[in-house]
Amino acid sequence: MDKRWLNFELHKRKILTLILLLAFMLSLFFVEWHSNLIHSGGFITAKQIAAAFFTPDLSGDILLLALESSWTTLSYAAAGMSLVIIIAFFFGIFASGILVSEGKIKRYIRPLFRGQLGIMRAIHELVWAWLFVASIGLSSFAAIFALAIPYGGILGRIFADMLEDIPREPIKALEAAGASKIQALWYGYLPMVRASITSYAMYRFECAIRSSAIMSFVGIGGLGYQIQLSLDDLHYDEVWTFVFFLIALVLIIDLWSNQLRKRLVQ
Amino acid sequence: MQEAISITQISKSYERKIALSSLSFTVNKGELVALIGPSGAGKTTLLNLLAAILPPSQGHILIDRQPLSELMDHKKRAKKIGIIRQQFDLVGELPVIHNVLAGRLSEWGIFKSILSMLVPQDKEYAVQALIRVGLTDKLYEKTSSLSGGEQQRVALARLLVQSPEIVLADEPVASLDPARAEDVLELLVKIALEENQTLIASLHSVEYARKYFDRLIALKDGEIFFDLPASSVTDDHINSLYRLKELS
Repeated sequence: MDKRWLNFELHKRKILTLILLLAFMLSLFFVEWHSNLIHSGGFITAKQIAAAFFTPDLSGDILLLALESSWTTLSYAAAGMSLVIIIAFFFGIFASGILVSEGKIKRYIRPLFRGQLGIMRAIHELVWAWLFVASIGLSSFAAIFALAIPYGGILGRIFADMLEDIPREPIKALEAAGASKIQALWYGYLPMVRASITSYAMYRFECAIRSSAIMSFVGIGGLGYQIQLSLDDLHYDEVWTFVFFLIALVLIIDLWSNQLRKRLVQ
Repeated sequence: MQEAISITQISKSYERKIALSSLSFTVNKGELVALIGPSGAGKTTLLNLLAAILPPSQGHILIDRQPLSELMDHKKRAKKIGIIRQQFDLVGELPVIHNVLAGRLSEWGIFKSILSMLVPQDKEYAVQALIRVGLTDKLYEKTSSLSGGEQQRVALARLLVQSPEIVLADEPVASLDPARAEDVLELLVKIALEENQTLIASLHSVEYARKYFDRLIALKDGEIFFDLPASSVTDDHINSLYRLKELS
């Protein structure tokens, strides 16, 4: 037999697949297969929730409440995103290191700001929310700051990456024409990333709305809070009304984002 | 004749590879010089040295009798030396007018350049420049929607606004079809003559070099192969310049 056939390098992927498959099959033996595996009443509840999907509560009171909570959720998200854009703009520019020339300063500035962005987004917005609620109480600012910090970290990082990834030729040409670093930022970097960063920020806005809804579980108010209350009361029809409003919010942002992108790209 | 550029014993090596070895020549004010030679001969390296994009390993460059190494303020340098390359030099996302007005950035402060994005400043400069390159009606069009030839005209308009004394052109027409290429080259030379600029252009096409330029400097393997007035360059010169090593 050909000796090469026994080469480990050639088969390492197949061996890994085999080990993973074995591990999965082995794990099945450790599951206790009795009736408590799935909550016995759960199936009935699931059926009720599914049935309520077709009969959402459309009474005036609930619709008004849903509208009001949607507004709260939207305003938290919008206020949070405004902060996010400011944070991402300044941190992103410094984290990309484009304003300083190659050399010592750049070697410190870039990692410093990239590190800060990393810390900001390493902690989830819900954890930030707990921290802020614990420190400044159940205020709207808790929700807004909790949203702004990790999202600023994410958007800032992406912005920095985009700034670093653009083609160098136009920037070099601008500098040869006598542009300073800030002028090159304004006439080269920013126009070149404008379309993609706008579209990514809009996507983040969409995420912020979902997050802001979830965040209201912490007790800040909004769509998520209403969903929780209705779930506690077993009013699944109301739950669906609120969920539909949440979906509608996200879809509206998506539409807006598409319009905006079309205008920027053409 | 006044000297615009003077190069003495210039060498440039990357790692171990020698790109240019002890080049010396002078270029007078208003001269039109074409750099020709096979790929890898060092044409782009020479232009990058002249543009102060790269520092020479040895030797010195004088611009207007001043060492280039003392011309480190790039706003002042932009008044002396302008560069035009292939068409990737423009910011495609901006309207034509801002790409042209970028030639004014060496004059403008930060506030004026940011304001200009909203309300174009010194607009007449851009309008005049675009008239001269024949693109009057494209002022507010997105630059990336223009054809390759038109984009190169926009780059020329920027150069007109920047108005340097010396123009370095690195394969300015390499990515254009022959008709477009000749058009742009003709314009480049015409502008240099009208503005009394010194022009140094690297070219692939020997035909264009002989047609539009006064003087041809041929580089081969990092050395000057010949440096002659365009009229006295013969086909024999050209043939031996581009002949492959194995055959010689």
